Amino acid sequence: MSVSNLLENWSEFRHTHPVDDKGYPDWEAYPSDIKWAMAIDLDACTGCNACSVACYAENNLPVVGKEKYSHGQAMHWMRIERYWDENDSGFQADQGARFLPMMCQQCEAAPCETVCPVGATNHTEDGLNSQIYNRCIGSRYCSANCPYKVRYFNWYNYPEQENAWPAPLNQQLNPDLTVRTKGVMEKCTFCKQRTYTARNNAKTEGRPVQDSDVQTACQEACPTGAITFGNLHNPESQVAKQWQSQQVDLIKDVQEKDEKEGNRLRGYRILEELRPYPSVMYLERVRESAV
Amino acid sequence: MSKRYLLALYNNFDEAEAVVSELRNSEIKGFNAADDLIVKSPIEHPEVEEFLGEKSVKVQWFTLGGALTGGLLAFSLIAGSQAGFYSQMKGGKPIVPIPPDLVLTYEMFILGGVYITVLGFLICAGLPARRSPLYSAKVSEDQIGILVKADDGSVAKLKDIFTKHKALEIQEEAGR
Amino acid sequence: MGKDIREDIAWAQINKDVLKSLESPRKLYWVIIVIALLVFSVGIGCEVYQYNTGMGVANMDNPHVWGLYIASFIFWIGMSHSGTLLSAILHLMHADWRKPIYRFAEAMTTFSLLTAGLFVAVHLGRLWQVYYALPYPSERWVWPNFQSPLLWDAMAIFTYLSSSILFLYIGSIPDLAICRDNIHQGWRKKLYTLLALGWEGTDRQWRNFRVTYLTIACFLIPLAVSVHSIVASDFAMSQQPGWHVTSFPPYFVAGALYSGCAAIITLFIILRYVFRVEEYMTLPILKKTVRLTFAIAMVWTYLNCIEFASVWYSHDQVAKDVLIQKATGPYAPFWWAMIFCGSVVPFAMMVKKWQTNIPVMFAVSLLLNLGMWLERWMIVAPTFAHGYYPWTWDHDQWPSLIQWGIVFGSFGWFTLLFMVFCKIVPSVSMYEVKEMVYHRSLAKKKEEQAVKEELAVKGAN
Repeated sequence: MSVSNLLENWSEFRHTHPVDDKGYPDWEAYPSDIKWAMAIDLDACTGCNACSVACYAENNLPVVGKEKYSHGQAMHWMRIERYWDENDSGFQADQGARFLPMMCQQCEAAPCETVCPVGATNHTEDGLNSQIYNRCIGSRYCSANCPYKVRYFNWYNYPEQENAWPAPLNQQLNPDLTVRTKGVMEKCTFCKQRTYTARNNAKTEGRPVQDSDVQTACQEACPTGAITFGNLHNPESQVAKQWQSQQVDLIKDVQEKDEKEGNRLRGYRILEELRPYPSVMYLERVRESAV
Repeated sequence: MSKRYLLALYNNFDEAEAVVSELRNSEIKGFNAADDLIVKSPIEHPEVEEFLGEKSVKVQWFTLGGALTGGLLAFSLIAGSQAGFYSQMKGGKPIVPIPPDLVLTYEMFILGGVYITVLGFLICAGLPARRSPLYSAKVSEDQIGILVKADDGSVAKLKDIFTKHKALEIQEEAGR
Repeated sequence: MGKDIREDIAWAQINKDVLKSLESPRKLYWVIIVIALLVFSVGIGCEVYQYNTGMGVANMDNPHVWGLYIASFIFWIGMSHSGTLLSAILHLMHADWRKPIYRFAEAMTTFSLLTAGLFVAVHLGRLWQVYYALPYPSERWVWPNFQSPLLWDAMAIFTYLSSSILFLYIGSIPDLAICRDNIHQGWRKKLYTLLALGWEGTDRQWRNFRVTYLTIACFLIPLAVSVHSIVASDFAMSQQPGWHVTSFPPYFVAGALYSGCAAIITLFIILRYVFRVEEYMTLPILKKTVRLTFAIAMVWTYLNCIEFASVWYSHDQVAKDVLIQKATGPYAPFWWAMIFCGSVVPFAMMVKKWQTNIPVMFAVSLLLNLGMWLERWMIVAPTFAHGYYPWTWDHDQWPSLIQWGIVFGSFGWFTLLFMVFCKIVPSVSMYEVKEMVYHRSLAKKKEEQAVKEELAVKGAN
């Protein structure tokens, strides 16, 4: 019975994640040899939107059209945010924009997870923030509590009524994952269909997952190679090396290097101070202006 | 010996009180003031309780039991079901988080308390019930009814007492 | 100032008056019913369209995932607070002026909770799967997420709704017995006979009744406070700027009491006219309610200032930006209207002459309610409009007519339920008015006796 289970394993049920009360990570309490993570070099990003397009194609994202887009109802899991310097007197819309590719940050302590009334969003063992479409009842609390606003809601019945993939576009829908019905929340999954295949293949071959096993759609499409993706637990992976060289630690809300004077490292995580422990590290842009 | 029911109606509480005290002090065959005397009133009147003497009310025990059961049930059910979700960590919080569970325990504590109190009320007050045949609609209006049960032979004596205190109406019914 | 309830009013007269109100209200009653039906059908139409097409027709968008539905949800939950909570508090305090008005106030609680429940349904993207949020045992051992404040909400509101209904029902049993004894034909007779449970007013019944009623009242006070604290937790437990405020629970409770009291005044004025119960819902009672409302208005104003101050001095730049946005951004007209209606208008209730002036108090109570509705909207919307970083800013979103239509329709639903209830169950508690006049006349007699004795002593000297 569940109560006896509760009493027997009480201490295990009381672990917090990713930082325990003691102040250090307790991976044993939550065992996994995979932690998917990303690094995005903003210095390399040209804002070409190839990643966003690739994401639309890979993840069966509905194309909502101009009108709904202007209502803020777009479904772009991967979006390029554009910023201009406020104090730039020579403000020109086509020039000097800074780009920020933004997708679900797969937080280790995600604000969206706790608030879902039906538990449709959970933390997976490979360090992702999952979304169970079948379970979602559309209370939209997760999106309300997301500081990045990277969750997208199916405002309409796109697959059936809204003609999101007019023929022959329907021919290119990815069979590896579903289309989503109206009234459910969805978001970036770090191309779960790909990471799962990679994990299964590696398991069949009896070896750990390597960088060469998997690429996310956005990473694959990026012409400048700004996006790195891989297993953060594997010290040999590109992404782990990048995080390490930038001295960004997944389980810290304030990085030690930021406390030091004269720090010239570029790595940072967005809204780190809110303590969601995001899994995406950005590398700051160095150039002052493109022109 | 067969029993008989008598209902007398009075205009105000003072008269009713006088009747009750007289009934209590006089020896009537087959009549016991503690069990065979019922006062019906249109309002809740603490003095009725006073002149009838203390009678224990047991509703609060139902309340206690209900509230404790509700709270315990809530915590064990909630924490137990969360423990079944071992692999589904949420937001870095423990699998069994205490503060949210306490909120729900608190609500269930009250829920159990209120529900079982109402159940206790129905049991203790003997509701729902068929109305006794000796019931006058006047009681729900403005008159105080005194219902007594006694042996057949004592009816005359009871009637005497009732009329002495200016009963407005006396109804009589053979006992069941 | 009008007269209070006469102490020497015959008890039979009380029965007669109140029972008459059940059968022959003014014509206005039927006008209200028809209007309420029309208003409600507007809401139904909008909801049917939204249900079939998708939430997009409400014109919500990515940052603005919540809208008027949640704001109105809080509004109706808040409105529910005064009825039962005040009734319970005043019962414990032996305030006898509660007796003629508590029945309709508790009915208001019940029906505004039912209206709030509608908004949960209207808000959900997949209403047809709403049972996922219920903790029912399933073969897959899947449970709802007990960590979510929304689930606490559901539990708290269910507890509050069912307890309020029981409180209301238990309190009406003696009155239902009166109805049973006096109405002799038709479905009403059957209904009252069933609901009265064979109540006879015996000493055993009254004794248990007293303890039960008191016990439930004791439970309801902490319960009501917890309900709106939990609704506040929907916001305070989140991480959003402008919501993540520790003082939200007491602030919400004060706001709830405030809007509830204002609604009591509105309904008081309507009911006493429509059901011709002017003799029972008297102006002195209105005056006491108005004074209470004023006190709560000041508490609310104070907590409002506290909230602004704590944001302002917190050095939380994002939260501060949201506050500045509220006062100067696109929501500024509504925000200032809320301050005006919530904190300035109540000062009209300080004027003694106006405290018992029906038209003035009617207008004031409506304004207060408007202010409290705006308050809820100003809690929900500006935070979505101005999030943590620039991409999440969206100052232009405006709720569509569908959203407004559903909010509008909810008022029809509430009015309909409330008015139908008042025609079936006596909205003035007969047995308690009897208690009230009885105790008042006793006190008066005692006073007269004392005066007489004093005179006698003086005369003897």
